[in-house]
Amino acid sequence: MTDDLAVAPAPDPAASARPPAADDVGIVAPKDFVFAQPFTFKSGQVIPGFTLRYETYGALNATRDNAILICHALSGDHHCAGWHTPQDRKPGWWNNLIGPGKAVDTRRYFVVCANVLGGCQGSTGPSSINPETGRPYGILFPFVTIRDMVRAQKRLLEHLGVAELHAIIGGSMGGMLAMLTAIEYPHFVRRLLAMATTGRESAQAIAFNEVGRQAIMQDPAWNRGDYPKDGGPRVGLAIARMMAHITYVSDASMDRKFGRRKKESAPNDAYTFDVQFEVESYLRHQGQSFINRFDANSYLYITRALDQFDLAQAYGSVEAAFGAIEAEMLVVGFTSDWLFPPEQNRELALAALRAGRRASYAELDTDLGHDSFLLESEELYGLVRGFLEREQPFAFDYSI
Amino acid sequence: MSRPVEKRTVDMQIIGDWVEPGTRVLDLGCGQGVLLDYLVQTKQVSGVGVDLDFTRIAACVRRGLVAYQGDMTAFMRSFPEKHFDRVICSRTVHELADPTAVITEALRVGRTLTVGFVNHGYWKNRLNTLFQGRKIRNTVYTTEWFESRPANPVTIADFEHFCAEKKITIARRAHLAGNWHTPCRTRPNLFAGYALYDLAR
Repeated sequence: MTDDLAVAPAPDPAASARPPAADDVGIVAPKDFVFAQPFTFKSGQVIPGFTLRYETYGALNATRDNAILICHALSGDHHCAGWHTPQDRKPGWWNNLIGPGKAVDTRRYFVVCANVLGGCQGSTGPSSINPETGRPYGILFPFVTIRDMVRAQKRLLEHLGVAELHAIIGGSMGGMLAMLTAIEYPHFVRRLLAMATTGRESAQAIAFNEVGRQAIMQDPAWNRGDYPKDGGPRVGLAIARMMAHITYVSDASMDRKFGRRKKESAPNDAYTFDVQFEVESYLRHQGQSFINRFDANSYLYITRALDQFDLAQAYGSVEAAFGAIEAEMLVVGFTSDWLFPPEQNRELALAALRAGRRASYAELDTDLGHDSFLLESEELYGLVRGFLEREQPFAFDYSI
Repeated sequence: MSRPVEKRTVDMQIIGDWVEPGTRVLDLGCGQGVLLDYLVQTKQVSGVGVDLDFTRIAACVRRGLVAYQGDMTAFMRSFPEKHFDRVICSRTVHELADPTAVITEALRVGRTLTVGFVNHGYWKNRLNTLFQGRKIRNTVYTTEWFESRPANPVTIADFEHFCAEKKITIARRAHLAGNWHTPCRTRPNLFAGYALYDLAR
């Protein structure tokens, strides 16, 4: 997931002065959930406990069944709506979707979003301190799977007193988390909304992740995962991010945004390797801002979890995986997404239908690539709102 | 717009009478899900609608229906034989690019296929063509040819000829007069405005 679909190569001064809008959740603060019992990973490895950093917006109702869990993508975090301070340059990553009166209406729903297990934005992951050594886990951290992330999030929801999820929503890796939650806890999830996702990555998607991992691991500063908190393979991580970023957008959107425009400050002499094109400058900016907020080992662990996610292999078939879900399912694909393309999304809905489940599929025509699920689109908002709120049964309407 | 709406509901009621309660129904070209909603509410069917258009799918989702955006033939190809009890093709068949492929697939994935269409052999349509010499425009077909989707002006005789040619069994038929309400018993290709068929292999 990119930082911001609309981000300009240079920070936009108008954006930095923008106060929280009236339909924002306003100023929010993250909280920590500490699970102080041993947690066994799918790999069999055990940690003595874990922390998940999370945010909530809205209030849990008396019947404790109006919660919506938002699941983030590879480089996302728990801060999906609102602002941490009025000076923030940007709100939470799905602020356009979540807020009072928005598609995910925080006046009606209790919205929860947690940083995944294995992450680096406050939840326990490879950059956390290993209590046995007093130093960061590094690559001694257990291998994390999507299922481990899902189980950890379930503990958080139990802690928050959520009896049943009104819905679970996620894009990209978030879609995998959402699907697996509905599969593993069928009585717990009433609606499943997965966007720009897949039941298993294609060879191409795995290949891109591997290049990213190699960029990190071939950086001498990686040092087999053993590096100080502010150090590490910054060059490798930035390159991994630059390359991954290309896979989140599209040829058309990059062409529209940058074309072959050159930096004004670019040297007149074309025969240098300094930044000349705006797209180069933009990618370098993406790489640089990423290394200040993301841990290289977490990047290795989470991309590995993505690669290993395979519903068909884990359950025998995708139909078998969805066979027991009780949730109403809606899958949304995006025409220009070439990382998790529409065919992989529609196949999820088809498999659920073959398994006799209630599954819908909608496809938005966009040219923004994989990151289209973050799009500011009234069509998408209307679809999400309609799926979450559903008209009253028997409100029969004859209009065509 | 009252007349087309009334006509729409007539179509719905007959299909509703033919649908067995609690069965698995696939609606090809479901639009905003009006027919499917009716069948869910009156017959408690477990229904899926297929349409190409995002806003129509969103309307179905808002109604609480299951809907799939995509090509209907490709959709049907991903299901095993007789997965659906009934496939419905209501006022869609005349717009299909490859009607044979759709009907063949529908008879494979469905035990029964219901087809409903406007009879272009209806005498008023014939007179219209004879005297006006123009594309038919009326309360059902309101648009000029250049603002319409491509369509085959299929007649009852055409359709029955197709079924005979493809060895498709006609299990049930309903021919309605020009008001789309009164049953039409004589010379339907001339006097029926609307036709409904239940087909099987």
